[in-house]
Amino acid sequence: MFKRLRLSLEPKKTAPTAEGISISQFIGDASLPVTLKALNSLPINPKMRLYRTLIPIQVLAAFDINPRTWQNPDKQPQVRLLAEEGSDRVKISAWQGDNPENEFFYLELADNPYNGIDLNFLVANDPASPKFHTDLDDQGRATLFGTVHRNLSEEERAMRAGLAPGQVREGLRCSQIVFTHIETFLTLLAHHAITLEPLTYASAWIFERRGFAYARGHQLMDSIQREFQPGGELHKALDGSTAFRQPEQWKTVRGRAWAIHDGILDVIDRKWDNLKMIKQVGRQAGVNTCPDAQY
Amino acid sequence: MSQRFQITRAAELESLQVFRDFIAECCARHAIPNEIVFDLKLAVDEACTNIIQHGYRGMDPGSIILALRFEPDRILVQITDFGHVFEPDDAPMPDVTAALEEREVGGLGLFLIYQTMDNIDYQASDDGNTLTFTKLYRA
Repeated sequence: MFKRLRLSLEPKKTAPTAEGISISQFIGDASLPVTLKALNSLPINPKMRLYRTLIPIQVLAAFDINPRTWQNPDKQPQVRLLAEEGSDRVKISAWQGDNPENEFFYLELADNPYNGIDLNFLVANDPASPKFHTDLDDQGRATLFGTVHRNLSEEERAMRAGLAPGQVREGLRCSQIVFTHIETFLTLLAHHAITLEPLTYASAWIFERRGFAYARGHQLMDSIQREFQPGGELHKALDGSTAFRQPEQWKTVRGRAWAIHDGILDVIDRKWDNLKMIKQVGRQAGVNTCPDAQY
Repeated sequence: MSQRFQITRAAELESLQVFRDFIAECCARHAIPNEIVFDLKLAVDEACTNIIQHGYRGMDPGSIILALRFEPDRILVQITDFGHVFEPDDAPMPDVTAALEEREVGGLGLFLIYQTMDNIDYQASDDGNTLTFTKLYRA
């Protein structure tokens, strides 16, 4: 216990840095966290047995994919695992049909500099729903979720169809079960938490509901809630000047998310960046920065 | 049988009153004596002020999770944050008997926590920094 304040600005490493792990090490001290890089050094079959826990069987079953073989009834592979030896990340994607590029599920986890685990991407789209090309601008360049370039006409169509920024299709509404699986996987590796940077206001709101707290940005979320109330600066800035700044948008999470995606935070001299969220395994933080929200 | 309550708020000074009200409300449910409630509020106030002013220094402030667990003869308080880690320091406790002009600035917050709580523990790990203290009482 400390007697006086002295800050350590460099977090301690969660797991020991290791280039690889042997089976005997893996079955050794079960409380010692294991990095993804160490896990990736395992032979493919034990590696697959472990990573298989990351995709909920309910999601695969909905697309008639065998959760054990990752094949469809025609014995065609429908899931791809990228977890190469030497890499500090794992990518899992699942698709329906012949085109692996037509993913309905994509998950990417990576070791962070402190040997904890970050959730880099989680995409779960309904492939039967209409696609909106918000991922490419009108010159065919990748928009990187609208962060580098924007396709305004497609974004407007997506917004009117009820999507949130960054989405190209309706979601599968499976984040709760996916996070249950991720937590199980983290426990398997003896990690205590997972961190992520929410891409949009809507995704931060969803992660709050999944039990995440904020390592950075809780105060920003409170400011957003306050300023979107009638009389607030963000409420006033919903002036109809663009399709993404319509007056009624303050009421909904998606409406706010589109306005923020459109840069409305400039009026309170803030930006949507540098937020970081953390989920402690087995604990719900109970954060709710947008009470009584309509999605 | 124990009962646990939890609240999470942003690490900002405005949250301190929310935490005080939360402690008062939870303690009222368990008919905790007023002097114990006062000590708990004081200790939580001091600990959270440290987190707000130092733990999240230079960062866009994140969350503080305050959890209270009521057991038949004690209350366990757990405060979790995700800011900078406080490192153990062997510096002496402030000399509160010294003349005002001879005292060092600061350090009284922790002194107050030590004075009012029975057991204190601090753990920093990948899932946050957790300060736990216990207040014993007779029902």
